[in-house]
Amino acid sequence: MNTLLTADGITKSFGATQVLSGITLSVAPGEPVGLFGPNGSGKTTLVNILSGLLLPDAGTVRFDGKEITRLPLDARYRLGIARTFQIPHPYPALSVREAVRVALDAGKRKEGSATREDEEGPTEDLLARTGLFNQRFVPCAKLSQGCLRRLEFARTLACRPKLLILDEVFSALSAADEGDLMALLRAVNRDEGTAFLLVSHNPPLLKSLCRRILVLEEGRIVRERIV
Amino acid sequence: MRSAASFRGGWLAAGIGLLLLFPLSSPDVFFLDVFTTGFLLAAFAASWDVVGGVSGQITLGHALPFGAAAYACALLTTLAGWPLPLAVAAAVLLAAAVGAGIGALSAPLAGPFVALLTLALGEIAHEAAVGHTFFSGPGGYAWGGEGGIPVALPWRDASPFSSYYAALAFLCLASFGMLRFSRSGAGLILRAVAGSPITAQASGVPIARFKRLAFTVGSAFAGAAGAGFVLHVGRATATDLSLELSFQAATFAAVGGRGTIVGPVVVALVLHVLFQGLSLPPSARVLLYALTLLVTLRFFPGGVVGTARDLALRLGGKDGAQPPRLRGRNKPGKGTP
Repeated sequence: MNTLLTADGITKSFGATQVLSGITLSVAPGEPVGLFGPNGSGKTTLVNILSGLLLPDAGTVRFDGKEITRLPLDARYRLGIARTFQIPHPYPALSVREAVRVALDAGKRKEGSATREDEEGPTEDLLARTGLFNQRFVPCAKLSQGCLRRLEFARTLACRPKLLILDEVFSALSAADEGDLMALLRAVNRDEGTAFLLVSHNPPLLKSLCRRILVLEEGRIVRERIV
Repeated sequence: MRSAASFRGGWLAAGIGLLLLFPLSSPDVFFLDVFTTGFLLAAFAASWDVVGGVSGQITLGHALPFGAAAYACALLTTLAGWPLPLAVAAAVLLAAAVGAGIGALSAPLAGPFVALLTLALGEIAHEAAVGHTFFSGPGGYAWGGEGGIPVALPWRDASPFSSYYAALAFLCLASFGMLRFSRSGAGLILRAVAGSPITAQASGVPIARFKRLAFTVGSAFAGAAGAGFVLHVGRATATDLSLELSFQAATFAAVGGRGTIVGPVVVALVLHVLFQGLSLPPSARVLLYALTLLVTLRFFPGGVVGTARDLALRLGGKDGAQPPRLRGRNKPGKGTP
């Protein structure tokens, strides 16, 4: 099978506590994959390692055929791996539009030059797509939880990712927000062929969005289920 | 909002106009000197704001690039015999290089650790300047230490009027440059880094590179202010590297409104002129600076500009949801959640 992301033998300990024990997984291009597991099973640690926020003690991560095990978070974003955080950390002094522009600007840097005017269109398109257009001048610090999640989506989509890593992105949302973001995720997956690894505690949600669900328990993948 | 910008611009233009006219009122030379020093200190405070306000890297060693440029000017003109313009250019470059070095060292650090590192580096430089003497070749007498090093100026007894206007022009140009930088694409990214480094990094921002950029640019402007200062007073001394100077810049920025550039400039100028003009002893000035800082942090955490902005928004009944200026398309979104 053609793979986009491969993690091989990922092991991680914090002090005497072993959190991940030889995790091996892969994600194919455009594949929607779910990651399910109880609290403390190591889901967020795995996501942090896959996205470049943490280094594994052992094991390798490959993306698009390149080894990226030691590549930091920002470099992985520019390669096309974008992640959300379980608890969003917004920029308090920036407006929603400025926050999206930061991500667009950082993404554009790899392609060469981009003028401010070039970025007006993509910024506003992203804001409209994520339902934030009317909130574009609101400071991020004043956003509701639902809007913060939408902003996380806008930020991750700014780099036209090949792989989205979504950590509990649907938690604590209203039904309307959840419905909108699920539709957006489906559209991104279907129309742009973006693969995603969705971490969630919610089995029905995973079943409705993912083709394959990995079950993580005590730092090991114990089951894999094709939906 | 455009009218608000025009209103602010009007105030600034009026302030600059008054400063341009002030020497024509035949003031005491002492006051001209106080203002001249105030302009240079205000530019220095704004340069702190590039690092500590816009980029959120709280530095307590910002006197280091200021003093390094002052000493470089003095050493290069007096000991090496360089022409003044070349020495000033080299001094500013040295300050930028010092900033890049501090930025590289502080890149892996955050919060109070950046403050501690910069404090330590500044104090090392200050102690070195106090304790080190340089020997002039032909004269055989020592320079440096507490007495500092004189600058070889190509003019004798510069007119206080020309110093005043030169310093004012420098302040206007430097402030304009720093304002443009803080509002550029790089400035936006630096404000993002200041607000949430982890989100900025997850948005593709190479944090370390941008921290270095902030220190380099802020230090270059601090160095330019230091070079201007040493040209005005004619001598580089260890005070130019002192913690007190760094602390003053941080205080001006906090009171003026961190990240606003204009706020620190205005507050630095007003407080300096007020405290110096009253001929207060240094100990009383330090006490008043500390008191001003404490009152601001307790009651007006946004500083003068931040508080004024909040007040204007409240009086205008706006919550920040309106555009500062509409550019490009104004199409409706998919609806607000």
